Amino acid sequence: MTLHYSGHLYFRHRLVLAILSGKPIKIDKIRPGDKNPGLRDYEVGLLRLIEKVTNGTVIEISLTGTAILLKPGIISGGPVAYECPSSRSVGYFLEPIIMLAPFSKKPLALTLRGITTDDKDLSVDLIRTVTLPHLEPFGISDKLELKIKKRGSPPLGGGEVLFLCPIVKQVKTLNFVDPGKIKRIRGIAHAVRVSPQFSNRMIEAARSVLNRYIPDIYLYSDVYKGEESGKSPGYALSLVAESTTSALHCAEAVSQPGIAPEDIALHATRSLLTEVERGGCVDQKHQSLVLLMMVLGSEDVGRCRMAEPTERTVQFLRDVRDAFGTSFKIVPVDTSDQSPQLLYSCYGVGYVNTNRTLA
Amino acid sequence: MSDQRPSKAHQPSRSGKKAEKKARGKGKHNAFNDKAFAPRSGRRAERQGRRAAERDQTRLHVPLVDRTPDDVPPPVIVAIVGPPGVGKSTLVKSLVRRYTKQTLNDIRGPVTVISGKKRRLTFIECNTDLSSMIDIGKIADLVLLMIDGSFGFEMETFEFLNILQAHGFPKVIGVLTHLDLIKKATTLRATKKTLKKRFWAEIYQGAKLFYLSGVLNGRYPDSEILNLSRFISVMKFRPLVFRNAHPYLLADRFEDLTSREQIRLSKGKCDRTVTVYGYLRGTNLREGTKVHVPGVGDLDINTITLLGDPCPFPTAESEKRRKLSEKKTLLVHAPMSDVGGVTYDKDAVWVNVPGSFTRGNRDVPQGEGEQMVMDLQDVNETLEHAVARSQIRLLGSSSKSLSLYPPSNQHTPSHQGSEVEDEGQKAQELTSISDDGSDIGDEELQYDEDENVELHFTGRSTRRVSRRPADRLSEIHDGTGIDYAESDSDLGEDGNEGTLMASDLDRGSDPVLQTDNEEADDEFPKWKSNLSDQVNAFKLAQRNKRKDWTKLIYYSALSPRQIMQGELNASDRKKDEEKDDNDDFFTLKATDGDVDSLDTTKEKCPPNQLAKWATEETLDSIRHLFITGLSDTIPADDASGRDVATNDDVFDEDERTNSDNEGDTPRKADDADPQATTLAAKKEALKRKFDEQYDDPDSTKQDFYAEAKEAISAQQALNRAEFANVDIATRILVEGYQPGSYVRIELNSVPCEMSEHFDPSRPLVIGGLLSAEEQFGFVQYTPEHMHCYATFYGPISAPNTGFCALNSLEDGIAAFRIAATGVVLDIDRSVKIVKKLKLTGVPYKIFKNTAFVKDMFSSALEVAKFEGANLRTVSGIRGQVKKALPKPDGAFRATFEDKVLMSDIIFLRAWYSIQPRKFYNPVTSLLLSSGSGWMGMRLTGQVRREQNLSVPHNRDSAYKPIVRPSRRFNPLKAIIPSEACRIARTRREEGFGGDAANASTAKGCYSAETREKKGAR
Repeated sequence: MTLHYSGHLYFRHRLVLAILSGKPIKIDKIRPGDKNPGLRDYEVGLLRLIEKVTNGTVIEISLTGTAILLKPGIISGGPVAYECPSSRSVGYFLEPIIMLAPFSKKPLALTLRGITTDDKDLSVDLIRTVTLPHLEPFGISDKLELKIKKRGSPPLGGGEVLFLCPIVKQVKTLNFVDPGKIKRIRGIAHAVRVSPQFSNRMIEAARSVLNRYIPDIYLYSDVYKGEESGKSPGYALSLVAESTTSALHCAEAVSQPGIAPEDIALHATRSLLTEVERGGCVDQKHQSLVLLMMVLGSEDVGRCRMAEPTERTVQFLRDVRDAFGTSFKIVPVDTSDQSPQLLYSCYGVGYVNTNRTLA
Repeated sequence: MSDQRPSKAHQPSRSGKKAEKKARGKGKHNAFNDKAFAPRSGRRAERQGRRAAERDQTRLHVPLVDRTPDDVPPPVIVAIVGPPGVGKSTLVKSLVRRYTKQTLNDIRGPVTVISGKKRRLTFIECNTDLSSMIDIGKIADLVLLMIDGSFGFEMETFEFLNILQAHGFPKVIGVLTHLDLIKKATTLRATKKTLKKRFWAEIYQGAKLFYLSGVLNGRYPDSEILNLSRFISVMKFRPLVFRNAHPYLLADRFEDLTSREQIRLSKGKCDRTVTVYGYLRGTNLREGTKVHVPGVGDLDINTITLLGDPCPFPTAESEKRRKLSEKKTLLVHAPMSDVGGVTYDKDAVWVNVPGSFTRGNRDVPQGEGEQMVMDLQDVNETLEHAVARSQIRLLGSSSKSLSLYPPSNQHTPSHQGSEVEDEGQKAQELTSISDDGSDIGDEELQYDEDENVELHFTGRSTRRVSRRPADRLSEIHDGTGIDYAESDSDLGEDGNEGTLMASDLDRGSDPVLQTDNEEADDEFPKWKSNLSDQVNAFKLAQRNKRKDWTKLIYYSALSPRQIMQGELNASDRKKDEEKDDNDDFFTLKATDGDVDSLDTTKEKCPPNQLAKWATEETLDSIRHLFITGLSDTIPADDASGRDVATNDDVFDEDERTNSDNEGDTPRKADDADPQATTLAAKKEALKRKFDEQYDDPDSTKQDFYAEAKEAISAQQALNRAEFANVDIATRILVEGYQPGSYVRIELNSVPCEMSEHFDPSRPLVIGGLLSAEEQFGFVQYTPEHMHCYATFYGPISAPNTGFCALNSLEDGIAAFRIAATGVVLDIDRSVKIVKKLKLTGVPYKIFKNTAFVKDMFSSALEVAKFEGANLRTVSGIRGQVKKALPKPDGAFRATFEDKVLMSDIIFLRAWYSIQPRKFYNPVTSLLLSSGSGWMGMRLTGQVRREQNLSVPHNRDSAYKPIVRPSRRFNPLKAIIPSEACRIARTRREEGFGGDAANASTAKGCYSAETREKKGAR
């Protein structure tokens, strides 16, 4: 019953599915034609991290690094510290861990050091304000926390976050079909090792667009100083729109050399508007997280209204079927309506956290 | 005639004795006086009220979800358990007779009957061996626990109850039999009473116990059985947690599908492909689930097929159609027991002759047909032999038969088997029986262009109750490939005239069509089978603009990127790919050109997509998504507003054409409708808000119990509603096979012993494994009510799963065989178990806080290993190992927090870790023949006892008498205080202190405290 995949894409969610389903996974043809074939350092780093949070995981990497075999153990959790490679931000490592952590033996207290915000992965701000609240309807909320102790911008990083996650016996079934209306917008503009004025300028620019919609807009300027501000300069703006039914949509933009902070803010704001326009109950970046939790729910029908699946989501749905044998029913929300939103419904597999200790 | 006349209503008498009697009785409502039970005091009333409330609470149980569907639940498994000779078979027969009005002589395996509108029962008799009892404990919903009244309880009964306890304790009804053997009425009464008391102690106070008197006509008295059946029919079942989380199935039929040739070649030792049939229970069974068969091991499911219900519930329709004559033959499903009618299905044909005809029953006259069928069942020879004996005539008119071997054994059997192997090395056998038994030569030989040579026998083809590969069977069932049964006479004629049929050609021409049939291709998962259709449908969907995401994701071979880009012309390219590799659709193609793309969550927003937000128009277009925007019913933006308007227009047009003559009233109503509904909705919301605020807030609030139950029922209603009008294939894809459905499960690579030693009297349970349970690890469990942990290596099962441990499964052990029961506490991949180990030593030289310790270690190397280790003396002084000393071997220097005494024993607390062996050996009781019991590995002690060996004796670990040198204590010398000291003390007590006090200590004068002085005296 080995899962078998090829290619380096979708590496993270495939590992997560393998570990949760307990099936061995084999991934081959990892960048075979590349000048630098095989696993990248961050992928190896992820495997290391997985080895740390699990017990009994066997990872075999081929000589060329183009194929791996992972035989999952149990997710043990507990206090873990890990130094992330500087090629990817902390978000790259946190995302799969968030999927695994609720099913570990002991509550996870993971300290990650490295880059906290970059343009490839979710920044720690978004993970704290958007990703973690997405777990709340599944009954994972108590003592779920991400503490940003230090910020670190690329290229050198130097940030530090502490991720605390409780354990659950079983996730609740989701029934989230009313997206509601946007009632508030929150944002965090942070700037490290640059003038604090930068964050104010970003806030100003973002407000110029958003003020027309609702009055309830708070954009915080979050400035870290000294030791807590990491090793490299940088700034970013992350925005979260919350609806009346607490559906969250988010967007962010990260500083780029030669671009004014106003433009960065405009980029973030427009991305948020695009996200809001897409609609649904779940943000596009968090589709696979929500879908995974729906699959793992009790043996009942879970429903969620979302926008069209992204590429990653499409592949994720296919991989879920391989790992858990479950498919989703995906239908347009309203056949008469022209909105592109879809209703995803699935029958949970009744996943029970077997790692949990009773006594 | 009498039916049509209206019956006269009853007229009660208004006068006379009867009326008087009734009038007298009207005064009292109850048999007892109400006042008699009224509380006399307030305190008593309070106590009574409290008691009533407490009793109310005992009725409540933790709300549990029942996963079995309400409409078609699986049959309730009623297991009949008891020691040998207690009358189990008689009870099953009596019960089956009660429900079906048929007497079954030879009951083997489960028997399913219909007991009511909404209930079916599966009776299964339990063997007396322990593994069968455990298997029954896993699946039984209701246990009829039979006890021999004349003998009393037996050890098996207690063992079984203990097994039940570990498995969640299904419902138990006790049945006392052989009560007719007790002649004296008083003894009978006393026996009943004692047995009942014991039974209640085992289960619960008030557990139901039935008494069955003697046997009449090989059955228990009908009235008693009727009574028992009534109890069974009203029995309510609480879902058991484990069964509510796992799919499982009690196989009521078992077939071996391995090709005979393969079995012959491997001399019966090859792994088999088998099918099992049964009602699904527990939760939904999904494709790709691994199953565990207790007594065999973990197996992979090849395919699952949904079959028609062999024992369907009576519907209003079926009841109407039922004739009076059918009343006698009520439905009973017991494939292993030779009852019921003829059943055709995928694997075999079941010929069952009605009446009391059973196989092996020679009393009933058997006709020619029956005889033939019986002979067919007995066919046991190889294909080779059959060919050797068969006659082939090339044409119907030819006088001489073709023969491969010299015609030595020319007598024609009533059936003929023949085979010609095709190039694919496949053999197929079709036995034929001619209509009247005289004309056997209705065969025809077919030669195909592609050199496939197949022999077709026509005539009435009755397939032997045979074991044949599934793909062959499906071909037959398709009816496309092989001419079968219905067209036999025509073909026979043709054959006689020497026509060559080329039906294989037809088959070759439409390979796609064949795959349409779900069952046609067992090699592939179901979703892959009708791919071409799906591709067509996909194209259609593309044309229809809106994407069908389910199909795109699950059926198409497009890569995610292609799906996102809506690449239409990709379908051509895809076709080529399809030809190459049909198998792995989900492998990623490197040609997608995303070698350098990263695995990122944040999708890059292209700038041109964001540029649209520069205009005010687009910015305004999403205003309605914010709370400050206008409501949905009156859309703010023009575009959608226009849409609604046009829709309305279209609707109006339709309306006009449809109902021109009806006038304008409906139109008006339509116009008013949206506004009216919104208004009504608003009013409703306002009213609710008002009610909430002004009504008693507690009145609407439910207690926890009701709330939880309501949430469960709401979720179940949602579950039903969500997939109510989805076609069955999608449903199976999404939610799997529902409990209550009758399925056929094909299992691959089953050990041959299972099919060879298959015995229907042993229950065959197929249990689905959850994803975590496929793994192995260390399982920690604890016996209940005892502080005892144990750890072993084995398949992982979720915490809180019950278990029972046995020392041996052997029969004929008088003692209680269940060693322990308990629950799983924890699972892990590695486990640390340590033994406490204390090393002791004695000081041989003591300085202030330092001591030299000997006799703890034997060498300096050992000491080096323990440097820094914590030490303790018996008196509780803590210390540390410092460094080894050169002179006596193993001696070391240690420091302590205080000065130790020479008499102290110093010990070092250490832990010795033990690694439990990774040894797991499943009980394979179903792989053994019925008589032989499963034997586990013998324990060391057992081996020694049998071999008559003594326990190896280590001289070091022998207990020797402890010799402690008698210790000499110096006598305590009391010093008589001198005069100077006395003065000094007096001065100190008087508060002078100073020099005098110092002087006394300086002199070394002993000043004893009062306590010490007392001791000295």
